[in-house]
Amino acid sequence: MNLTSEKTVPEEVASGAAVSLRGLRKRFGELRAVDGVDLTIAPGEVVALLGPNGAGKSTTVDMLLGLTRPDAGEVSLFGRTPREAVREGLVGAMLQNAGLLGDVTVGDSVAMIAALHRRPLPVAEALRLAGVEDLARQRCAGLSGGQRQRVRFAVALVSNPDLLVLDEPTVAMDVETRRAFWASMRDYTATGRTVLFATHYLEEAEDFADRVVLLRSGRVVADGTVAQVRAAASGRTLRAMVPGATPPALAALPGVSQVDVRGERVHLRCADSDTALRALLTRFPQAFDIEITAVGLEDAFLALTTEGDNR
Amino acid sequence: MNARYLALEAKRTLRNAKFLVFTIGLPTVLFLFYANMMGDGRTETGVSAAALILCNMAAYGGMSAAVMSGVRVASERALGWHRQLRLTPLSGQGYLVVKGGLGLLTAVPGLVLISVVAAFAADVHLSAGQWAQLLVGVWLALIPFALLGLFLGHVGSAESSPVISGGVLVLLGMFGGLFIPAQAMPGWLAGVAKALPTYWLSRVGQSVVEQGVVGVEAVLVLLGWTVVLGLLVARWYVRDSARA
Repeated sequence: MNLTSEKTVPEEVASGAAVSLRGLRKRFGELRAVDGVDLTIAPGEVVALLGPNGAGKSTTVDMLLGLTRPDAGEVSLFGRTPREAVREGLVGAMLQNAGLLGDVTVGDSVAMIAALHRRPLPVAEALRLAGVEDLARQRCAGLSGGQRQRVRFAVALVSNPDLLVLDEPTVAMDVETRRAFWASMRDYTATGRTVLFATHYLEEAEDFADRVVLLRSGRVVADGTVAQVRAAASGRTLRAMVPGATPPALAALPGVSQVDVRGERVHLRCADSDTALRALLTRFPQAFDIEITAVGLEDAFLALTTEGDNR
Repeated sequence: MNARYLALEAKRTLRNAKFLVFTIGLPTVLFLFYANMMGDGRTETGVSAAALILCNMAAYGGMSAAVMSGVRVASERALGWHRQLRLTPLSGQGYLVVKGGLGLLTAVPGLVLISVVAAFAADVHLSAGQWAQLLVGVWLALIPFALLGLFLGHVGSAESSPVISGGVLVLLGMFGGLFIPAQAMPGWLAGVAKALPTYWLSRVGQSVVEQGVVGVEAVLVLLGWTVVLGLLVARWYVRDSARA
């Protein structure tokens, strides 16, 4: 299983893809923000773009939407350039730092964007879908962070797009609002729309995405289904100082799936850390400095990919 | 150009208190103040002083409205509303046309109000044809000012652009003879006035109330400013798009 390798996509299928990124690169001075991203998203897929801050998520999203020009590589949305797709109202986006006009009401803000599109939803409908119909008469300046995000969502929806791109959509939302937001998203995607959302919340990716793409240092380091992520992320890492331990002896412990020994320092990746710990202490009572942590998403992903490469 | 978007923008502008004060309230108050001060003075040609002051203050209010709409480009860029608009079919040029058109559109209420006040509260008597010529003439002469607003909106930041444009408006008003007639200026300063679009903006109105014709010189100077400012705006636009 190698999750990073591109599936070989025939050219005619690729051109029917909702999103196709080929060899995308962008540097800002010395920083390679995006360093060769390839990604194909089929119509109807809901994809999470995960990664730590600075991984290149926003830059990738900006290039995908045609807001930033790539240094190299190609972007195609439904077989069109980003600008063509935007002009046809195929793409809606919730962007980070795309502000609202403080002196304009919520209703008028959405109406302004609707006025520019060719086949928009009725404004009231977009407000309802985003759950902000109660705020229609309020000026944007008085909104809370979570409310602003939902107004941005209404703005993204109003062109009735086939592809929704959301850059950190729940960033300013409290738990309750976040839940409501994803509920309205779920309603929307039930109609078969394609969604790409950038996030650094694992739970959101798990709950909502069909597929998760992990970005790190401007590259796609893993790409897999949610089930694969969940399996990988369910493990624990056990760290300890274990004088006299050998890798084969450690690997033989129950519950241990992967072993890394550097001198006396031992890193054990465990499917069942409780069993592994009991066995470790029985077999090596001299072990000390024991620490057990949940596998981070990134570790989990890397585990998936390196296992794939080794086998 | 998108009429519905323009209408919503106009609604937004006309709800802005600062805009109403500087483009409608202040010019009208200044007009009443100057007109009362001059009493029923007349020029040798028999044109009332109030009518000439009307032209100056209509010019002042009109140019404030035309410039202020364009300057808002700066704050919209800083806010990121600009990015939101780039995800619509509206092109970059279309955005500039909307903002320029908005400047001209939002100048209309001030021009109409000051004319109504002049006719009913300050004894400025013009024929219906003259009123129409005055309003349309001044309005068309505002085109370079709408471009000036767009230019100033690109030059500065959200904070600096309104300050710079406030200063530019005062200087253009002062040296263009809107507050002190250019005829009362020393020779060299009158020369400066005649190079400024504000002088010719008020001359367009004044030639209507004097029942004269708008001279070729007025058209040429205003056209010259339109071309120069149009090129400057276009250059900034191209530079900004290349940065994306």
